Amino acid sequence: MRYNEKELRALSQQPAEMAAELSMRGPKKGSVAKRRLVKLVVNFLFYFRADEAEPLGALLLERCRVAQEEPGGFSISFIEDPERKYHFECSSQEQCQEWMEALRRASYEYMRRSLIFYRNEIRKMTGKDPLEQYGISEEARFQLSNLPQDGRAALVCARLDELD
Amino acid sequence: MRRRLRGSRGLVRRGREGPGGHPAGGRGLGARATFAFAERGVRPTAGRRRSPGNHWLRHQTNRPHRAPSPAVLPGAMKLNKRSVAHYALSDSPADHTGFLRTWGGPGTPPTPSGTGRRCWFVLKGNLLFSFESREGRAPLSLVVLEGCTVELAEAPVPEEFAFAIRFDAPGVRPHLLAADGQVAQEAWVKALSRASFGYMRLVVRELESQLQDARRSLALHRCVSQKVGASCRKPQVPDRRSPGLENGHFLPRDCSPVRTIEERGCRPVGRDLSEWELQGPTSLLLGRGQSPVSPETSCFSTLHDWYGQEIVQLRRGWQQRAQRNQAGCKQQNEPCS
Repeated sequence: MRYNEKELRALSQQPAEMAAELSMRGPKKGSVAKRRLVKLVVNFLFYFRADEAEPLGALLLERCRVAQEEPGGFSISFIEDPERKYHFECSSQEQCQEWMEALRRASYEYMRRSLIFYRNEIRKMTGKDPLEQYGISEEARFQLSNLPQDGRAALVCARLDELD
Repeated sequence: MRRRLRGSRGLVRRGREGPGGHPAGGRGLGARATFAFAERGVRPTAGRRRSPGNHWLRHQTNRPHRAPSPAVLPGAMKLNKRSVAHYALSDSPADHTGFLRTWGGPGTPPTPSGTGRRCWFVLKGNLLFSFESREGRAPLSLVVLEGCTVELAEAPVPEEFAFAIRFDAPGVRPHLLAADGQVAQEAWVKALSRASFGYMRLVVRELESQLQDARRSLALHRCVSQKVGASCRKPQVPDRRSPGLENGHFLPRDCSPVRTIEERGCRPVGRDLSEWELQGPTSLLLGRGQSPVSPETSCFSTLHDWYGQEIVQLRRGWQQRAQRNQAGCKQQNEPCS
């Protein structure tokens, strides 16, 4: 699958939601933890070698699962292969918590669900569709019927994680 | 920015099927380095590695200043392609789909010519995937729709319904596409223009604040209309409007205790499963536990408790800062005020 790498690199230079130096370990067996500058921009997590302007890589954060590992550490895995985990270690549990919260909200699908929820709530409370004024009430991305089947499972997981 | 040589392994080039091939050294680093530095407000020093002190995280290191070797080629960026492809094929909602003729895009010749290639395109969020066909099991390409604008365009051959995705990044040529008809063309331009994460985030924030306003005014209304007492009373649901205004989803009329969001989340019995699931984002966004704007906080003492918690947190913050200041003063041997 080809992708527009140049644009993705340009995206990695944009202002980040969160950025920090963390210890990162890839999912492959026997991979070693390394210090990486980790930067969250929209729904991508970029990682850089310290002092390098160009990212080593990026993770698209759609349909990912963020879980607490040992205290101060978390992992990111993806729905199709939950055992294949990217591990991150933070300098404190606080920082770890911050990152986990941010990563869980950093997907387009999450925003889509939030938006549909708010739209529905506002409609119920006020009787008006808040998207009418923007002329986008018919857009596919804002429709209640467009929630994915297994999005429900993912949301259940997310909620259960929150309760852990 | 050139990549360092890795130890004694000499030139390392990552395997990739990325867009075109980077000509060895031919492109030079000037453009990219300049762009990267300009983004971060640092003066470009073309061809020279920045000193560690200028790093965008202001992270000081002890690494020696190294001149880049001309033999080092920029490596391909890694991407979790397997997961990306899985996402493309999943049943997560597609915001737009259809056949389009494509000229530009990753891996194609620089000058659009001919009639282009007809592919099945799927837009999900800020990601535009193309497939060989509707039944394609693997995406051909991905265009990340950030930092771009979409406009009508002229096609190389007399195609009437062309449009282009133009990227802000310098040195990136526009991605030319053409639809089958005017309706499709307009629909695609609209859909692609609204595809960015930032746009979605703006709309979500706007609705979030609208909802908070609506809830706040409703909660205040209820507070005022109830006797303030030691015990929480059942919220009275106004019957003026439609039954939908019973916005405490999980407060059937005959149930009095005020529930926390967690409780609500765990007991969808008797309610639409979809409604329960949709609670998820709110509790994540507004924080765990009750908030002053949740419909259940119509009881004054609960509202009071919530603000009490907020004050406790604020006080804690002040104390922490005060302690830090004290520590600072001690270091400087100055009396603390």
